[in-house]
Amino acid sequence: MKRKIKLALAQISSRRENKKENLRKIEEFTKKAKEAAADLVIFPELSLTGYVVHDQIYELAETIPGPSTQRIEELAKKTGMHIIFGMPELSKKAEATIFNTAVFVGPKGIIGKYRKMYLPTHSVFEEKRYFRPGYQTAAFNTPLGNIGLCICYDLFFPEVCRLTRLKGAELIISISASPAIRRSYFEILTAARALENTAFLAFVNLVGVEDGLQFWGGSRLISPTGDVLAKAKYDEEDFVTCEVDYSDIRPAETFIPTLRDLRPELFDELKRHSEMF
Amino acid sequence: MKLTPSVLELNLTEVENRIRRFIKEYVENAGADGIVLGLSGGIDSGTVAALSSLSLGGDRVIGLMLPEKETYNSKDIDDAKFVAEKFGLKTQICDITPVLESFYKAIPIFDPADRLCKGNVKARTRMIYLYYYANKLNKIVCGSSDKSETMMGYFTKWGDAAADISPLMDLYKTQVRKLAVHLGFPAELAAKPSTPALWPDQLAETELGMKYETLDLILYGLERFMTPEEIAQQLRIKKTLVEKVKSRWLAIEHKRRMPLTPKIEYRTAGTDFRLPRHTY
Repeated sequence: MKRKIKLALAQISSRRENKKENLRKIEEFTKKAKEAAADLVIFPELSLTGYVVHDQIYELAETIPGPSTQRIEELAKKTGMHIIFGMPELSKKAEATIFNTAVFVGPKGIIGKYRKMYLPTHSVFEEKRYFRPGYQTAAFNTPLGNIGLCICYDLFFPEVCRLTRLKGAELIISISASPAIRRSYFEILTAARALENTAFLAFVNLVGVEDGLQFWGGSRLISPTGDVLAKAKYDEEDFVTCEVDYSDIRPAETFIPTLRDLRPELFDELKRHSEMF
Repeated sequence: MKLTPSVLELNLTEVENRIRRFIKEYVENAGADGIVLGLSGGIDSGTVAALSSLSLGGDRVIGLMLPEKETYNSKDIDDAKFVAEKFGLKTQICDITPVLESFYKAIPIFDPADRLCKGNVKARTRMIYLYYYANKLNKIVCGSSDKSETMMGYFTKWGDAAADISPLMDLYKTQVRKLAVHLGFPAELAAKPSTPALWPDQLAETELGMKYETLDLILYGLERFMTPEEIAQQLRIKKTLVEKVKSRWLAIEHKRRMPLTPKIEYRTAGTDFRLPRHTY
């Protein structure tokens, strides 16, 4: 396993409902990442289709594996890159049951996927109208280290990143489609989730305007002590490379030993109280 | 929550950038050649004109000045011209009086004493001019409704609120005024009393029954689910005044939405037919 890896944060805007064009852009940015000697390129939440597609989601969703993931698998194989991107995933066992999914592909094929657990359905968001929530956190042992996945609103719930970390993830990837009005929340939450877990956290957000909703970008890599190591521009497409040096985790963990100090008995109490709340 | 004027303060640079990006992206995706807007000489339309010019370049923006004899005010024309010159947009003056008079003569039940119905003909006639220019010149119509008017229903249905985009619709009037100053408008113009110009000497604040400074705070409180009691207490005004605003705020939702239809089929326009707005 590599102790140092290079990430490419591909902060793109998606063409809504146009998978062909979005796959072309994913290919373009993956090649750019390859040229920049990156190991892993990360794209935003639902970058395959765009975020605000309403009822069209039923026409756009695909199974995994499916035609779009096959294209990405071929791309990963051809370039030797690892790729993470977001797409609406159609259940293989139903006709119209869809998940908001992050897909992790490597040169040897699909490494894994994560189905968003917390679906925002308030304010401008209507995800529960369309998506079924996921039930499992995700951490994958890969040649690039143990990498965990989460999606956007999951960051408001510390248990997702915590579970990912407890499963071994040292780098947590959050793909996102966060609108500008929520920027300040995400700037706090990304740092908090990294710091409280003493793990690296890469946040890759969408940009562009979809039905009046403006996505703010600001993708970033956060260190295990909560520092912003790299940051993409606000509000416009950007491409940023940055390095994850896993050897930074040990000094962070000794200095802020949150994992050593975990109190499992509180989790039982937390469960009990959240059921009664 | 403390309901003081400071709650309405915004990062105006960020607001300006967000609106400019919104306008530019919409017009580009629509494949349109630019924007047509009504330039009344008021602060809302002036601000929209300024933002449109800053987003697209003034040569892609046309401001239509649409006066008519009953409400004609040379100050409004001067103010509209000032904005056009300052932000470099093109203008066209069209006196809509002959068209209005034709309508007055042609409508069998026309009642000259009913100034609201008559005034609405003026607002809807202006809409027809704007859409004619937009169709003919491959432009989109940019509206200038602000959030105070929108939430109070203080506009003519299918008249002044009819537009393809309304970039100021999420800003209360007092916020629009601050944005105008931020964009370089003289303070006097930014503070100019607002009028829909449906009849002579019509003033928005007189009709709404209070200053925008108070109205905007009431609307801000209602937006954030505060009760009329809380709002009245904090603003030291009568609860009945807040309740009056709230009743109107609730009653005119029909003006802000697609026409209602009974639910009969599988998916219904305006209710559960949810499609993305494609502009390209």
